Amino acid sequence: MLEFPEFIHFPLAEWIDAIMHWVLTNWGVFFDAVGDSILLVLLYIERFLLWMPWFVAVLLVGLLAWRVMRHWLAGVVMAAFLIVIGSFGYWDLSMMTLAIIIAAVIISLAVGIPVGIIMAKNNRVEAIIRPVLDAMQTMPSFVYLIPALMLFGLGKVPAVFATIIYAVPPVIRLTNVGIRQVPQSIVEAAQAFGSNGRQVLFEVQIPLAIPSIMVGINQTTMMALAMVVIASMIGARGLGLEVLLSINRIEVGRGFEAGLSIVLLAIIIDRITHAMAARQEYTISS
Amino acid sequence: MSDKGLATADEVCVEVSGLWKIFGHNPEAILESEETRTAAKETLHEETGCVVAVRDVSFKVNKGELFVIMGLSGSGKSTLIRCVLRLIEPTAGKILINGEDVCGYDNKQLINLRRHSTGMIFQHFGLFPHRSVLDNAAYGLKVRGVAKEKRYEIAREVLNKVGLKGWENYLPSALSGGMQQRVGIARALANDPDILLMDEPFSGLDPLIRRQMQDELIALQSEVHKTILFVTHDLDEALKLGNHVAIMKDGDIIQMGTPEEVITSPINGYVRSFVQDASPTKVVTASSIMEQPNVLLYEWQGPKAAMHLLRTNHLDEVFMVDRAGKLRGLVTLERLIELFRKGEESLAGAVDTDFVTATADAVLEDLFPLAASTGHPIAVVDEDGKFLGEIFDSTIMISLIQGRGEEDTGSTTTRANGKDENL
Ligand SMILES: Nc1ncnc2c1ncn2[C@@H]1O[C@H](COP(=O)(O)OP(=O)(O)O)[C@@H](O)[C@H]1O
Ligand SMILES: [Mg+2]
Repeated sequence: MLEFPEFIHFPLAEWIDAIMHWVLTNWGVFFDAVGDSILLVLLYIERFLLWMPWFVAVLLVGLLAWRVMRHWLAGVVMAAFLIVIGSFGYWDLSMMTLAIIIAAVIISLAVGIPVGIIMAKNNRVEAIIRPVLDAMQTMPSFVYLIPALMLFGLGKVPAVFATIIYAVPPVIRLTNVGIRQVPQSIVEAAQAFGSNGRQVLFEVQIPLAIPSIMVGINQTTMMALAMVVIASMIGARGLGLEVLLSINRIEVGRGFEAGLSIVLLAIIIDRITHAMAARQEYTISS
Repeated sequence: MSDKGLATADEVCVEVSGLWKIFGHNPEAILESEETRTAAKETLHEETGCVVAVRDVSFKVNKGELFVIMGLSGSGKSTLIRCVLRLIEPTAGKILINGEDVCGYDNKQLINLRRHSTGMIFQHFGLFPHRSVLDNAAYGLKVRGVAKEKRYEIAREVLNKVGLKGWENYLPSALSGGMQQRVGIARALANDPDILLMDEPFSGLDPLIRRQMQDELIALQSEVHKTILFVTHDLDEALKLGNHVAIMKDGDIIQMGTPEEVITSPINGYVRSFVQDASPTKVVTASSIMEQPNVLLYEWQGPKAAMHLLRTNHLDEVFMVDRAGKLRGLVTLERLIELFRKGEESLAGAVDTDFVTATADAVLEDLFPLAASTGHPIAVVDEDGKFLGEIFDSTIMISLIQGRGEEDTGSTTTRANGKDENL
């Protein structure tokens, strides 16, 4: 009597399964192709990062940080962070993690920037995409593992896929905002001198939206980094898996090292991309 | 003041007829009935939610003239000037540029028009903040597909012309307002268009810079002879620059004419309320107040005839012209009497050349010092020295008083403050 009546049964699970089945039988080829391209991008990056001698990587990160942050100390600190990660014995794992992040970010940008542009150009498209982005942002990140798992099974590809889905909203949003924020008077001036739509976009709107897009890239990268840890649950090897394993085995010290490595990696990536975004801002407004 | 550069008259360059622009939903409904076509702007806004920005406007701009559209903020000037380039799509009406119907243009033709025939200058400059001054000036050429070397060469030339040599590599934000607008002007000139559209180009500038830019525009215009459509809310500016002035109110053009016509016979209280701010000394010209003398002396006439002429007309002095109508001198009664005493036969001895002349487009302001420097009437002559008429001290005074008198009868409509309306 007090239990929930069994006859009120909503067969959502069956429906979802049916839909997935339908998708996989009819769109299987498509998702195979998507998976293969993701894997291709990922493998190239991973192979390169693992091939690169550690001191070259340290040097490159140091130089880049010094150039974009305009301070030699920043370069030294970032390089030192990388050495700390290596000293924990996590060089290869962190490079694998980095590879997933880079692959996910590249694909996110390749998809997100054009979508953001279309969204900025068309109010109806914006009206459709905006609520979707809002919904995506409110969902807990591990929810994205489910469709990834269903479409691609276990492994690296679904990890990258889930990371992309989680990380793509900021770059779409900020590309859209950046383009819409370009003053109408400037767009009008471009039109008055006979620019066609393409010229208005590439000569005026995108260049002026760059600072905003750079902020989007920074945020997307950080979200990719956050997701990559969670994505290790569905088979991405890397620092995330290391944290997961040490939690399972209650190895506090190991978990701490892996966790710290992730934090250091995050700081390096964040500071560098943030400084790049800030520099764009500076060039345009000065 | 003298040369507004009206080069080739009477060749129509821009012709607008029956132009409407209504913002809002279903604007065509308003055009359908006579009642709504003539209803007041506020009423229509309340009843339909539509804003009538431009209402049934027609005008013609001749080639090489500077046509001013003047009105208070919100009167529809910006909308009107944008409709000409279809930056804003007109609701109804016809726009002919060099005889071609712009409203019938497809996208490609329209872009072509904007690339080759027109150039626009904006109140807030509309410069590209991420491009150097040079790249800004070269933008129109770039869009057109002109090669880099060539477009930079042309851009340097026009920047030079507007006095920005040495600033090519700066970003616009490094420049003062006046200089930024020079970049705006350079950008428009680089395309070498026939037609310049200027939407309150000097309104955002300090008064001193504004005046300087106006003077430079006049100088530039006398050199390049573009057809210019110039929007302003400043009457002084309109009168100073315009060959013709159209006054807008609530989307309508309520009066159109030369600056002089507008100021000497304002069509209604609204225009008068503008005009009372303008000093007649700056607009009333010699040709409008000069008189055709009742008598003229001809070179070949003798002293006796001259004496007779003066006596019968009760005059003290008379201008003398030659066969071609050219002014030869002034013959005064005093000199004639002396001539008679000496018993000379020729009139030559009585001709006084100590008088002043003015050109037909000299304004009252220029005439004051002339009148003060002589005891005789001022002779008005054309460039060839041909005699056109004469102006007496008293006429100058009267035209001044008339200007003031009309002010006092000014109506109660909103008074135009003229300057700084949109700032
Ligand atoms: N995009 C628009 N949508 C609705 N109303 C507009 C729009 N642009 C201008 N208006 C209205 O049209 C009228 C004329 O504006 P505008 O042409 O900018 O005047 P002006 O340039 O003389 O100050 C104003 O009442 C203004 O509020
Ligand atoms: Mg305006």
